[in-house]
Amino acid sequence: MTSKVEFRALRRVFGRTVALDGLDLTIEPGRLVALLGPSGCGKTTALRCVAGFERPDSGAVLIDGEDVTDVPANKRDAGMVFQSYSLFPNLNARDNVAFGPRVRKVPAAVRRARADELLELVGLPGLAGRYPHQLSGGQQQRVALARALALEPRVLLLDEPLSALDAKVRVALREEIRRLQLDLGITTIFVTHDQEEALSIADQVAVLRDGRLEQAGPPAEVYDRPATPFVAEFVGTMNHLPGRLAGDGKVTVLGQALPVDGPAPSGPEVDVLVRPEAVQVSLSPGADPGSGSGEVVAASFRGSSVRLRLLLDGQEILADVPGHEAARLAPGTRVDVRLVERPVLVAAR
Amino acid sequence: MRRPAGWLGALPLLVFYAFVFGIPLAALLAGAFTSRGEPTLANLRQSLEGGNLTAMIGSVQVSAVVALSGAVLGTFLAYAVVTSRSAALRGAVLTASGVLANFGGVPLAFFWVATLGNSGVVSGLLGLPSGSLYSFWGLVFVYLYFSVPLMVLVMAPALDGLRPQWREAAANSGATAWHYWRHVGLPVLTPALLGGVVLLFGAAFAAYATAAAMGAGTVVPLVTLKIANALTSDVLVGQENVALALSLDMIVIAGLVMAVYLPLQRRSTRWLR
Amino acid sequence: MAAVTGLERPLSPGPARPGRSRAWRAVVFALAGLYFLVPLGASLWYTIHTPTTGVSFAPYAELLTAEGFISSLALSLALALATIALVLLLTLPAMLAVRLFAPGLRPLMEVLCTLPLVVPPITFVAGLSTSLRVGADVLAPTPFWATLIAIQDPGFPVVLVLAYVVLVLPFVYRSLDAGLRTMDVRTLVEAGRNLGASWPQVLLRVVVPNLRSALASASFLTLALVFGEYTVSRLLGYQPFAVWIVTVSGSRGQLSVAVSILSLLLVWLLLLAVSTAFGREKK
Repeated sequence: MTSKVEFRALRRVFGRTVALDGLDLTIEPGRLVALLGPSGCGKTTALRCVAGFERPDSGAVLIDGEDVTDVPANKRDAGMVFQSYSLFPNLNARDNVAFGPRVRKVPAAVRRARADELLELVGLPGLAGRYPHQLSGGQQQRVALARALALEPRVLLLDEPLSALDAKVRVALREEIRRLQLDLGITTIFVTHDQEEALSIADQVAVLRDGRLEQAGPPAEVYDRPATPFVAEFVGTMNHLPGRLAGDGKVTVLGQALPVDGPAPSGPEVDVLVRPEAVQVSLSPGADPGSGSGEVVAASFRGSSVRLRLLLDGQEILADVPGHEAARLAPGTRVDVRLVERPVLVAAR
Repeated sequence: MRRPAGWLGALPLLVFYAFVFGIPLAALLAGAFTSRGEPTLANLRQSLEGGNLTAMIGSVQVSAVVALSGAVLGTFLAYAVVTSRSAALRGAVLTASGVLANFGGVPLAFFWVATLGNSGVVSGLLGLPSGSLYSFWGLVFVYLYFSVPLMVLVMAPALDGLRPQWREAAANSGATAWHYWRHVGLPVLTPALLGGVVLLFGAAFAAYATAAAMGAGTVVPLVTLKIANALTSDVLVGQENVALALSLDMIVIAGLVMAVYLPLQRRSTRWLR
Repeated sequence: MAAVTGLERPLSPGPARPGRSRAWRAVVFALAGLYFLVPLGASLWYTIHTPTTGVSFAPYAELLTAEGFISSLALSLALALATIALVLLLTLPAMLAVRLFAPGLRPLMEVLCTLPLVVPPITFVAGLSTSLRVGADVLAPTPFWATLIAIQDPGFPVVLVLAYVVLVLPFVYRSLDAGLRTMDVRTLVEAGRNLGASWPQVLLRVVVPNLRSALASASFLTLALVFGEYTVSRLLGYQPFAVWIVTVSGSRGQLSVAVSILSLLLVWLLLLAVSTAFGREKK
């Protein structure tokens, strides 16, 4: 029993700040959609409009085609997990989870059993008797998740649930949330400012900026084919390399001729957008035609990969290489730089 | 080297305490159990009968009524202040509470005599019968002037500690305002509420100056007034020791009140982290 | 006697709550305003209006020349300053020493400093006057007798200062305790020592400046208490400010109410001065 959620021309203004500026988005049943964007982009406001804690100034929120804008928050049937501090401090984990059923007058034994079931589902068997101040941050959020699911809502809303947690806990918990969501098949809206989080677990990523939708699509699409410069910069890192349109659907960059992906702006001088992992680095001397001679300026070791900052003809280029090559590519090394042979994105200069 | 320093720093305070607080207390205990130079329980017995008992009961009654009504009124006022959008109003009421909670005493009595006393400015307007202020309820009414602000000061931080996420999470789980207050809001506030009631009781119980300045002693029996009379009266010789016994009774009651207050105060801070 | 001033608790206004019905809040404020402001207005009116002579500010004009006004006010002020000095001198080093070197003493400190709350002032003065009387007899042949008499000198009764310190101790303790906790005194002292400061330097340059709002709060409470103190002062037979107000009320009703109004104003101004001077400090 899962639902479709729609935002239609949603608009919300706080004093002078425009939080939402005509947001249009559809979330299909059973999907996990991540609302991604910088602070102040309106993602939390949009989520709270679904939950009923914010009333849009104009536009509508629809659940299963029904306009719920006038429905009070306690009748929305949209379970929400807050960022932090949302567990009732005077109730233990079990009673926190059983709160919703209790309000609905579910008999004590039934609701307690269900609460225990849910706590086990979220990975906290045996902690039902603990109080919030006796639980770690990660455990508290699991209880909050169980509580949100207790009334079998038609939509699950998550407001940056992992932001206040340690890095390792964050990664583990987000995998579990995704697994749970897939098992239950519940429509889920996940708000985050962490693009890695969004890309790793979402079915669809919706990038927001200044209250408007910049792009919505599967993670790979948002990453590989950003629709706007903002998305290109916000999601992952992007190199901007000077290039020249060659007229036959190709562009010349770094001495290579590569096909243009998508529509090309009017040239001939353009910016070619290239991800660091699409830059190939090899040690000079290179006999390969089309490779330039550049120098490693800085190297940032990240465990599985190394991010190199290269200087090539006065142009700075970021490149990601496998971690085990770090030793050979120390700063000061002269290298050959080559782009992977695939269509590239081109933007106006 | 470290340990002696700790004792050393605290030594002046400890010595002072032993002398200025310890000796009077010892004298009080000794005197309460002594009569004409001999150990006895007669003083204690006398302190709990007749006029003294009436006074004790009177004090407890006044204090209890003030504590309960002050707590309710103060909590509502604190809630109104905390949920108000105007920061200026918040600041003004909280500052006023800070002043009035510490005010009490003699000036308070005179304000009310000037307002609702027999020749008070307002009593004429309201057509109050003479002597209304100098009654049980008159005294309660006056005592609320410092009790309500005190409760506001206790409850405002406690109400602030109610996180908006709790309210929202409750609504999200289908709760109405009533459900929220019943299952989350009031339980979380209870330690602070009880602590406030206890604090108000203690303050009203120990009050002397206001009642004395009002001259309410003849109408409302209060143990503080009884003790003061016994101490200053030259007529009743040998009554000082009964006064000391009465004092001991007061301390025991105040002690019980404090024994309830402290653990409650600790509990309320734990939840409102 | 209140336990808080509202100064030491940093109260940040919470996020705007959903608009509750404004009606009930307006009613609450109206009733509260009525209850708290009418007596003040009525008292003011009482002081300036007499049925026979109409409106006149005579009571205020007579204030300065009224018999005993200046002397009792001066006495209260002197007592207050002495009390503040003494209580801070006794408490601050003790609390610091315990916090830094002897944390095991902390529970004892807390119990001792909270105990006076259990002893209502009237009972304390009962025990105190008994001790003074008995002491005068017992110590008569010793040199201590002179000291005992000296502290009861009506010109400047040190005994009152001693008594006030006991009465105000719980509130000063709590205020300083909150301040020390907020400033994390241990870390700051260690940092100061690490940078080469001597103990007196640490005390003056590290601890005290960071305790400003706690010290201000404690001083305000002490000042307010001493000025309003009636019980102990009267029953020991002295006449500082509050006692004088009652004495003069018998003969000059309007004057005593006028003085009461002024004392409220004074306390108010004091709190404002203290909180603006130190309230800007970051907690």
